[in-house]
Amino acid sequence: MTATSALPNAEIDALKAAYPQVFDVRRKRVILAIVWGVIAVYLVGSLWYFDIGRFLNASDRVWRLISAMFYWRNIETWQFDNIYSAIAQTLAMAFLGTLLASIAALFIGFLAARTTMPFPIIRQVVRRILDVFRGVDQLVWGLVFVRAVGLGPLAGVLAIFVSDMGTLSKLYSEALENIDRKQVEGVRATGAGPLKVMRYGYLPQVLPVFISQSLYFFESSTRSATILGLVGAGGVGMIIIERFRANYFDQVTFVVLNVLFCVFAIDWISKKIRERYIGEQSH
Amino acid sequence: MSQASISGAPAPYGDDPVSGFEAHRKQLRREKLAMNLVFAVLFLAALAISIHVSRFYPDRLAAGIPRIFEYFGTIMPHLEWQVLFEGRNEAGRATPGSLTFWFSDIALYLRLIGETILMALTATLVGAGAAFLLCFPAAANLAPNSTIFWISRRFMEICRGVPEILYALVLVFAVGIGPLAGVVAIAIHTAGALGKLFAEVNENASLRPVEGIKSVGGSWFEQMRYGVVPQVLPNFTSYTLLRFEINVRASSIVGFVGAGGIGAELNRVISLYSDDRVVAVLILIVLTVTLIDLLSERLRFHFIGKENLR
Repeated sequence: MTATSALPNAEIDALKAAYPQVFDVRRKRVILAIVWGVIAVYLVGSLWYFDIGRFLNASDRVWRLISAMFYWRNIETWQFDNIYSAIAQTLAMAFLGTLLASIAALFIGFLAARTTMPFPIIRQVVRRILDVFRGVDQLVWGLVFVRAVGLGPLAGVLAIFVSDMGTLSKLYSEALENIDRKQVEGVRATGAGPLKVMRYGYLPQVLPVFISQSLYFFESSTRSATILGLVGAGGVGMIIIERFRANYFDQVTFVVLNVLFCVFAIDWISKKIRERYIGEQSH
Repeated sequence: MSQASISGAPAPYGDDPVSGFEAHRKQLRREKLAMNLVFAVLFLAALAISIHVSRFYPDRLAAGIPRIFEYFGTIMPHLEWQVLFEGRNEAGRATPGSLTFWFSDIALYLRLIGETILMALTATLVGAGAAFLLCFPAAANLAPNSTIFWISRRFMEICRGVPEILYALVLVFAVGIGPLAGVVAIAIHTAGALGKLFAEVNENASLRPVEGIKSVGGSWFEQMRYGVVPQVLPNFTSYTLLRFEINVRASSIVGFVGAGGIGAELNRVISLYSDDRVVAVLILIVLTVTLIDLLSERLRFHFIGKENLR
């Protein structure tokens, strides 16, 4: 191999002795093979543990289900007014939940940001409470609120409110920590009180960020509000689960397609609003 | 000759530059005010419609809020300091007020949480594998032709557009109650979501190695394997770990529709009892999710380097 190498063999041997880990290709290969082997064994073992064979036994059931989903019958009995009012309810739940969460986060954000909250103890307590709001899934909040206030959209609005408040407050406080301090100092230098400093020093800088994040969360809440109904928290999920349980699979497909269309439309509108009025760059 | 027309063109607002500026400013303010008014009206209309449609009236809210606090009062544990660390007595019964009493079903919870994590891990691996296969034809710069590109893109959109719990609902009907339905549902969603992210990574990859391999006669598969994969693998690993964190959350809730994991138990304790068991399960779930997040964050830093992550 001397012909392909610029270095004499003796020097190569010396380098090999000095840096064994670079030249030891075999060891690297063995480690890689072990990693892949462990992954493969784990996959096979866990799929066996999860009873993957049930797919083979259930194959005719799966085909019947799929054909029932796409063969639409008795379209005139589908009660379209129920479907569309449930979709409207889903949108309304997402709108109200995100709006209330944004209003709450506007205040909590100031409490949780290092730049605006001088006492670390309060900041830490607020942040840990927000962690709990965020750590519990929105659907679990939905279940809890259904239990607390009963079936219906109120539980859904509250679930969206609580989980969005957790995340939005964190994002808002991060936005407050990343602002330009000079503007705040300028306003303070004119002798403004703490409220005026917030209004003229902080808000003009962070408001566009806040609005764009809230719009983004409205989008994501529309998605998650569709499944809140599965636990009884109002919206289109209730229609989906009710008709699924009654074996109207074709109607379920229709409702899901409508929901997908709505979510797509809202994504598009909110992207346009963010681009046009907040000057956000499209990715 | 007035000062305003130095360039020779007539001034837009008469000869006086100050009044011209004032007029222009007034017009801008008027336009902005009109725009804000339109937005305010639209916003208020949306608010009114939303309140009407979801029946979110103040009296319902006022009736509901005390019940929330009442409910959270009933699910809080009643712990007493004197007996807090007392174990089970000879008869095998735990003392009310102790941790043992509060977490008396801990063995079941831990088994289900273990199952939840296994479900998330398997689903992430299967989904990431599918996403890996899909992401090369779905990247605009790498796709062999536009038909394959279009098909793989639409397929991924369908996979990630439907929430995993809906897939779980359908699959539970198809293959029966149990974790298999949850694993497959999460894997389908993961394939769509990760496939999109992977394809975006591919689109940002340098094409020079690909051209090099093409020039020595490599096939499309060889171009992908030796030209693209080495560049994108660290990012893929990092995204997969991030998805694993998300999937742990998802697999803890797919049990609501009978697809295995801790969700079924959570649904049961919330729907049947209103006592401290609810908080016990919730605490375990939040702890698990937080721990997994911390571990996976460590691993992500290891793979991609701290400075590249933000």
